Amino acid sequence: MTSTTLHYLSDPMLRALYLPGIAAGLALAALCAMLSVLVVLKRLAFVGQGVSHAAFGGVGLVVALGIGASASAAGTLGQFGVIFLFCLGAAVLVGVLAERGKTEADTAIGIVLVGSMALGAVLLRAAPRGVSWESFLFGDILSLAWADAALAWCVALGVGLLLVIVRRPLLFWAFDPVVARAAGVRCGVMNLLLMTLLALATVTAMKLAGVVLATALLVLPGAVALKLSSRWDRVLLASAGVAIAGVLGGLVLSFEADWPPGASMVCVLAAFFGVGAVWAIIQRT
Amino acid sequence: MPDAAVEYSHVGYAYPVPGVDGTRAKEALRDVSLRVGVGERLGVLGPNGGGKSTLLKLTLGLLPVQQGDVRVFGMTPRDAARAGLIGYVPQRATCELAFPLSCRQVVRMGATLRAKWWEGVSDAHRAGAEQALALVGALDWAEAPIGRVSGGQFQRVMIARALAGGPRLLLLDEPTIGIDVAGQRQFADLLGRLHAELGLTVIVVSHDIRTVAAGCDHVACLSRTLHSHSTPEGLTPRVLAEVFRHDVAAVFGDVHVDAHAASACHDPSHAHSHPSARRSEPGAGREGGAL
Repeated sequence: MTSTTLHYLSDPMLRALYLPGIAAGLALAALCAMLSVLVVLKRLAFVGQGVSHAAFGGVGLVVALGIGASASAAGTLGQFGVIFLFCLGAAVLVGVLAERGKTEADTAIGIVLVGSMALGAVLLRAAPRGVSWESFLFGDILSLAWADAALAWCVALGVGLLLVIVRRPLLFWAFDPVVARAAGVRCGVMNLLLMTLLALATVTAMKLAGVVLATALLVLPGAVALKLSSRWDRVLLASAGVAIAGVLGGLVLSFEADWPPGASMVCVLAAFFGVGAVWAIIQRT
Repeated sequence: MPDAAVEYSHVGYAYPVPGVDGTRAKEALRDVSLRVGVGERLGVLGPNGGGKSTLLKLTLGLLPVQQGDVRVFGMTPRDAARAGLIGYVPQRATCELAFPLSCRQVVRMGATLRAKWWEGVSDAHRAGAEQALALVGALDWAEAPIGRVSGGQFQRVMIARALAGGPRLLLLDEPTIGIDVAGQRQFADLLGRLHAELGLTVIVVSHDIRTVAAGCDHVACLSRTLHSHSTPEGLTPRVLAEVFRHDVAAVFGDVHVDAHAASACHDPSHAHSHPSARRSEPGAGREGGAL
């Protein structure tokens, strides 16, 4: 840890500005670690991309409606709720278009992705007060308050508890959906649950990492972990370690280089992936 | 408790097929009535597209019953599946083989699926999984990653996973596809062991006559309708010719198939294999081998 980071954390005024972001970042790491392995193995990275970009439409809606204009806990919760519902609606729409509308899944995601981004751009443009696009697109650690951090931890703990409860049918369905359905697992519920958790993680990641880069946090920890081990329990542990190291390392890089936090986290995680890929090659040879 | 494991009563099913002039129904099953006793090993034999997999999906509750009725241990198929009474081994790998799971972990998934969420993997679950692995002879490679075992080993792990849940009915869809003759013989032995040690009711769906004849007590021949339901000795050339006539016609054109036993053949132009050669084949000596 170098001087700028130490300065930020030792100065009481600066610490008050950055600590909520760091606390939210740790919650985000826990969330990503839990979901990332499933996202990679179920090949949901592009779905996650669609859901996270849909958040931009939700942001536009929040700004246009003036929801949570004040920095109160109720305002934070209101914003979170609207953007989450927008993302969930987008995920369900992708599913409906792909399954009932006879549209290819990647086409459906592409349509929802650009549609939501366009809606967000139009609504933000029409917003009565000036709103920075960049903070939504790439994240801004200074935009986070303690209410955001508390909400992020509530979401992470809630998602963790839910995953513990449904871990057996969820893993069975994820591994073998056909036999899971025959064994009485409610596959539609599992699919909707995973989409809901993806939407929750995306909205939680949005303020810190931005809508463009939120998906990377859901993909890279699992992708790195799967390079490092072929045992389920070790992969989950590695995913947790990589996510925490990626988020904290990204924040340090952000402080030191004055980069956007989302981009910094993705750079660190991408570097981890490079190391993991080399490690996997060495292991094979 | 009913003495029938599965009962099909006048079952019919048609798939909707979209076309340029609207959706039409393509019939897969018509008026199939069949009773599978508890502890019976039934082979369902028929050509591709003959309705075998449709019958299996109806038994699993994966398709809704359109006509007639299907009962599994007196319950609807969905209820029987949710009660854990049915173990299912699908036709081909439907699994995500990239999952970093060992064969043992996959089998334990079957053992713990119905455990309460607050329970850990108990000794009973572990014992159930180990017993299933031992029964199918998979203990030697139980720690291998599931994506790195051979086709035959993978199939045994899938059977072990189905058994680990403690089902009373085991459904196998084309279990010997892609498996060599030695593997098919081992599979028949395995079915015999499952029957002897667990007393399971087993339904095997296959278009492979050897699989069905060697490992089952009864055989139902299905080609949209039920053509026969008897012991493997009842698999006569005439029955097989009738059931597989579309396959034969696809190869030889629209021919008349005169199926008869070699012993009853008086046409010197027909070539028949030597009786000693036929004895090694399942079904040999029942009614000859001429089609």
